[in-house]
Amino acid sequence: MAISLNKGGNLSLSKSDPGLKKISVGLGWDVRSTEGADFDLDASCFMVGETGKVRSDADFIFYNQLKSADGSVEHTGDNLTGEGEGDDESVLIDLTRVSPDIFKLAFAVTIHDAQTRGQNFGQVQSAFIRVVNAETSNEIVRYDLSEDASVETAMVFGEVYRNAGEWKFRAVGQGFAGGLGPLARNFGVNI
Amino acid sequence: MLTLTRGQKTKLADLTPALQLRATLAATSPSLQFDFSCFGVDGADKLSDDRYFVFFNQKSSPEGAITLDGNGEFSIDLAKIPANIKKLVFAATIDGAGEMRALGSGSFSLQSGGGEIARFEFRGSDFSNEKAIIAAEIYLKDVWRLAAVGQGFAGGLSALLKNFGGEEIAPSAPPPPPVRSAPPAPASTPLRPNPAPLPDRGAPTPPAPVNLGKVTLDKKGAKTAINLQKGGGTQPIRVNLNWDAPQKKGFLAALQGAPDLDLGCMYRLKSGEAGVIQPLGNIFGSQNSAPFIFLDKDDRSGAARDGENLTIFRPDLVDLVLIFAMIYGGAPDFTSVNGRLTLKDQSGSEILVQLNSPERGQGFCAVATIRAVGSQVEITKEELYFKGHPEADKRFGFGFRWAAGSK
Repeated sequence: MAISLNKGGNLSLSKSDPGLKKISVGLGWDVRSTEGADFDLDASCFMVGETGKVRSDADFIFYNQLKSADGSVEHTGDNLTGEGEGDDESVLIDLTRVSPDIFKLAFAVTIHDAQTRGQNFGQVQSAFIRVVNAETSNEIVRYDLSEDASVETAMVFGEVYRNAGEWKFRAVGQGFAGGLGPLARNFGVNI
Repeated sequence: MLTLTRGQKTKLADLTPALQLRATLAATSPSLQFDFSCFGVDGADKLSDDRYFVFFNQKSSPEGAITLDGNGEFSIDLAKIPANIKKLVFAATIDGAGEMRALGSGSFSLQSGGGEIARFEFRGSDFSNEKAIIAAEIYLKDVWRLAAVGQGFAGGLSALLKNFGGEEIAPSAPPPPPVRSAPPAPASTPLRPNPAPLPDRGAPTPPAPVNLGKVTLDKKGAKTAINLQKGGGTQPIRVNLNWDAPQKKGFLAALQGAPDLDLGCMYRLKSGEAGVIQPLGNIFGSQNSAPFIFLDKDDRSGAARDGENLTIFRPDLVDLVLIFAMIYGGAPDFTSVNGRLTLKDQSGSEILVQLNSPERGQGFCAVATIRAVGSQVEITKEELYFKGHPEADKRFGFGFRWAAGSK
């Protein structure tokens, strides 16, 4: 039985699912049934050190760079429409292979071309992030963002981070104005 | 006062502690006419009860929680909203031709205690070919919240209805459906002059009929009643059943044969005479003698373009008629053959019932009843599904004796 977190809540993944090695972080959303431009949402992952910044641009995993240099993090690919049930995009992580100097993996979703299409997260329904044990398919934790998202065009949904020798997950729900560029710069990526 | 941008959400409690609110929708354009409505939908975003579609023909929800006081002016009492209604959707639709891109400016304003607490403004450049837009929503998710939506449908009010699980009768006039024929809409609002309680329902008040002129809502489980002008009592009621013959797909379909649906009725006249009219047993009735009910043919395959037609020539003689549709063979359920039944009276009112039970073994649909109520005749959409004739008879109390038969 997965645990559902509210904004700001956190959970020890290691304690909830002892022996956890590989996780799949699923991100999902439903888009409107009304007329207008399609919504194209993109999930990305920032692998950051204790300073909260990436070591290099190679630590920014997104639709144009699907795999980390150490092979521990892999984005399974871009979904252009948000159609269908379940996870719309997902990121696979081998926790045992994440470099020791990576302190945190932040998972963000951005709306592609939001400005010109006049779109924001308030128009996206049922947004969620969930962490699944990739080996057993057991869902460990989930965070439903729908009421925490409004006029933002980029949002950090959640983060997986080290804490005293274990891995934890935090429901973040933090919005950024301006989209993927400013968000990436926030994490120290050279855009 | 909070000014919202498209997509923005907020908790109502952050704006006001009050639950009695006023919402005003406005839109201006040199070329367009607008109608404003409010849909009270359930947790699945469906209009499961059409009494919560508040618009120009139905100006209040049953308990008065939502009322339309003037064009675009709504009073809302969130304390009175029943528990199954989770969202109030405020929509603006274009009456007649035109597209929302031609909108000059529009707004949704929320007031409490005489002061404006929230405002969302939109304009034509926010839209393109939409003919109906959702301006804003007030919805319950743990607490009452407000969202500025500003999105719409090119298909107009009918697409909006469809989005909320409702459907409207396809108008005989060319699309788009004329929502209101001409202001001030004299003939298109046939609300019953003397609403009489429906017998055997035990409900204190009958559901208000939803009639958008030529557009009539069709929803499973909903009841719609239309009233006949008695006018001599000899205006016939025409009933049509039609369905689609599916494209043959392979061996199994060929074995199964063409879907054969039957239209029929059980009747009891005021004279006490009672019987059944249906293709099974070749009981087609008569136009010129009692029971003055006539079935035109038995379409065995769905191929006949006009389906099967039953006419009740003397509704004034009727005590109770139960119109039914049944699957004789060739189809597992009504949904798979797109079964649909239309009732029409002389004044042009229509009831369309989409036969929508996907359940196997429920091949008998009690579609509508026609009954004498005082000096009037009332048609009520029933849409109840049964295993067969005896089960339906038991429900409606004709008391026939039933035996199995075949064509």
